[in-house]
Amino acid sequence: MLAEPILEVDRLSVRLGRTEVLRDVSFTVGPGELLSLLGPNGSGKTTLLRTIAGFETATSGTVRLGGRDVAGVPVHRRSIGLLVQDPVLFPHRTVLENIAYAPLLQRRPEPEVRELAGRLAELLSLAALLDRVPGELSGGQQQRVALARALAARPQLVLLDEPFASIDPEIRADLYAEFRAALRASGTAAIHVTHDREEGLFLGDRTALLFGGRLDPPGRPEAVFARPRSRRAARFLGYNLLPGPDGPFAVLPEDLRFDAPREGGVPATVRASGPSGRGYLAILSTDRGVRVALRSATPLLPGTEGGLTWETALELPPDDAADAPAEPKNREAVGTP
Amino acid sequence: MTRRGRAAELVAAAGIAAFLLAFVLAPTAALFRHGLSGPSGAAALAQALTSAGGARAFSASLEQGGLSAALAGLLGYPAGVFVGRYRWRGRTVARSALLLPFLLPGLVMVLGVLDLVGPSGLLGGPLPSLRWYASGIPGIVAVNLLYNVPIVVVLTAAGCEASSSDLEETVASLGGGPGRVFRESWGLPSAIGAGCGALLTFVLSALSFAPPILLCGERCATVEVRVYELSAIAGEPALAAALALVLVLVFAGPTLLYVLLARRLRAVRGRRFRPRAPDWARPTTWLWAGSFAAVGLAESALLGAVLLRSLSSPGGGSFGAPWRLLVSASTAARIGNPVGSAIANTLLFAALAAAVTVVLGIGSAFLTSRRPAVGAPLALALFVPVLISPVVLAQALGTFWGPWLGAGYSLAVLIVLSQALLAAPFALQSLELPLAGIPAGATEAATALGAGPWTAFVDGALPRIRRGVETAVLFAFALGMGEFTATYFFANPTPAVRTLPVEIYLLVPARLFPEAEAAAALLLVLSLAVFAAITALGGRDAR
Repeated sequence: MLAEPILEVDRLSVRLGRTEVLRDVSFTVGPGELLSLLGPNGSGKTTLLRTIAGFETATSGTVRLGGRDVAGVPVHRRSIGLLVQDPVLFPHRTVLENIAYAPLLQRRPEPEVRELAGRLAELLSLAALLDRVPGELSGGQQQRVALARALAARPQLVLLDEPFASIDPEIRADLYAEFRAALRASGTAAIHVTHDREEGLFLGDRTALLFGGRLDPPGRPEAVFARPRSRRAARFLGYNLLPGPDGPFAVLPEDLRFDAPREGGVPATVRASGPSGRGYLAILSTDRGVRVALRSATPLLPGTEGGLTWETALELPPDDAADAPAEPKNREAVGTP
Repeated sequence: MTRRGRAAELVAAAGIAAFLLAFVLAPTAALFRHGLSGPSGAAALAQALTSAGGARAFSASLEQGGLSAALAGLLGYPAGVFVGRYRWRGRTVARSALLLPFLLPGLVMVLGVLDLVGPSGLLGGPLPSLRWYASGIPGIVAVNLLYNVPIVVVLTAAGCEASSSDLEETVASLGGGPGRVFRESWGLPSAIGAGCGALLTFVLSALSFAPPILLCGERCATVEVRVYELSAIAGEPALAAALALVLVLVFAGPTLLYVLLARRLRAVRGRRFRPRAPDWARPTTWLWAGSFAAVGLAESALLGAVLLRSLSSPGGGSFGAPWRLLVSASTAARIGNPVGSAIANTLLFAALAAAVTVVLGIGSAFLTSRRPAVGAPLALALFVPVLISPVVLAQALGTFWGPWLGAGYSLAVLIVLSQALLAAPFALQSLELPLAGIPAGATEAATALGAGPWTAFVDGALPRIRRGVETAVLFAFALGMGEFTATYFFANPTPAVRTLPVEIYLLVPARLFPEAEAAAALLLVLSLAVFAAITALGGRDAR
């Protein structure tokens, strides 16, 4: 990253009551960059956003926005936009009034506010809805208004806290695209947190995984997915973890093959199978009781015994040594683990 | 809807309606008819409205109620903001502890004020200028304020918690400063909460009984006192009934407004609210915290003074002498009833009142969960006893049911009913929130498995409101223990049914102050035990 970062988080720790929710979290966000933070529920994603916004106080570490340490700076002076799962629109104001809320608070001239609101409405397909009130909008439309309203404040950084979690799946992909386009067009940097790995990997220019309050270093989404840094990262990203002689290794459900009757490989039994997309998803258990997911072109009959083999597997470092990414390892059927 | 379902609803609705009709509506209607229908009915009404005593009583009620409500609002609002909006160590316990003064009779607060700033009080002794607050209107207002300000604090806190943290944070992130955040987010709900508290303070203070008599005398007597005097002392039941009718008409407005605001407050609860860490860099945070500290300190000092004085009276005497005096035969002879009997009556009547309250509560909850259109108005009707005030309720019950029951211990039935009816509206509030949180599918799952409506309610809904039911029982029990006005109406002429609050009231005019202090301390200890149980239940909920 060549340009000066918009946000620098350095060794940030946050304690809520007796629980240390974040520990030594460090990362940066560049101008116009969209960083996706992925993690399971309770991993500290929301606390991280709330601390950057100023709603929570850091126990130690610094948050610098636009080069300035914002410790002690109240929320309304941080120039941060915030979107949460609930769009929290003002129900008694029209879409236009919602979008114009922050510019009017900033005492910008009315023609400029109208022009800005119109431009954002156009960008987020809201132009025909400007006179409506939030109660007349769908969930997706309300979330678009919330983003337009946040961008109208011209923030340095927008924080997106699972904003698509309550949106119907069939329009979610459209919203991903619209949000990304709007953020790009406005040149605003953003941090997006989610527990949905598809969403996180799709949206982020860079992606990082957060577990138990500790953040893995961010990287390109493809790299984060292809080279998980720990067992729990691999598990979270959808890999199967199989025990091997030198420790566990990770195999994607697409890379597993099941042969019945067994001609080698790891003995396994089909527990359940059902359609998934164009093929089938099967759940199997190995002779050592390890649960494994497998994608296949044909359905598998529950109770069938056979052998599992694979072409590509990743050797994984232990969870407490999460500083090195997994090593690719090509192997044919790893005998008896 | 199955036939069994309809039958169960009908039984619950008819049961509650019949109870209210028999013990509230019919007796009250009969009382008012009695006040208006006699040969002197119209004259009695006119006299109630125009007589010097009636007018003075209304004036005293409005003055005491207005001053108490204004001061309770001014002090309670900022303290409530600190409790409602911020998270700090001990917040849950402090919040429960605030209810303690409300569970005690106003008499204990009277003794506390005298013990603290009275002529021989802990502070009033060395600082004579403080004695101004121990008598007359200042003393009455001080008692009313300290009795009611915790309710303003608790309701303001509930109002703050009815606001949406997401909205507040959104406004702040859009550049809205603290003033804008207040206007857009938590200002209105917190004001509604404080308004509820101030209205309740107004009604309870305007209709208070013991503080005006004990701290000021006849010239400060409220309408409630005047109704009692006309009915029980002057032998003017028609005039008392007429004055009671005027009382109900005058105070119906504020009481109904309180009920409506309280319902609105509950209607907006359940939004996403998160208490925040106090921002000590802002002066307003110090204002909120300082107000809360002032309330806590004043309440603790008051109750502490009662406990202290119960151990050693100012006139000397050995340690624990007040307690020995309280249980002595001479005290029993002076007030006509041994203290052991009063304690037994207090606990028995309160337990029975709590049982009646919980039956009403579960019936009302069952109905509200299945038929809100029927259950909600019936729950609202349970507020009528508060509207008509304790003395009028007692007078109505006594006039209507007294001839059937006769004198003696059978009057205990009416005491239990009065305590239950006066406690129910407040105790049942602890049921409403968990009731609102029951998912629609909770009883449907049991119904789908073949359970009848009552079984589905017991298995699907009741476990989810069990903590609320337990809290309601304890709350009703504590309120019953502390109920004084209605109980005094029946128990004053009948020593066998006297309770601890009644004994305290009789001990003070008899100038048996050490004994009164010991009795008040005993009541305080009993209430503390109930409070500890309520707090323990709250702690179990939190886990």
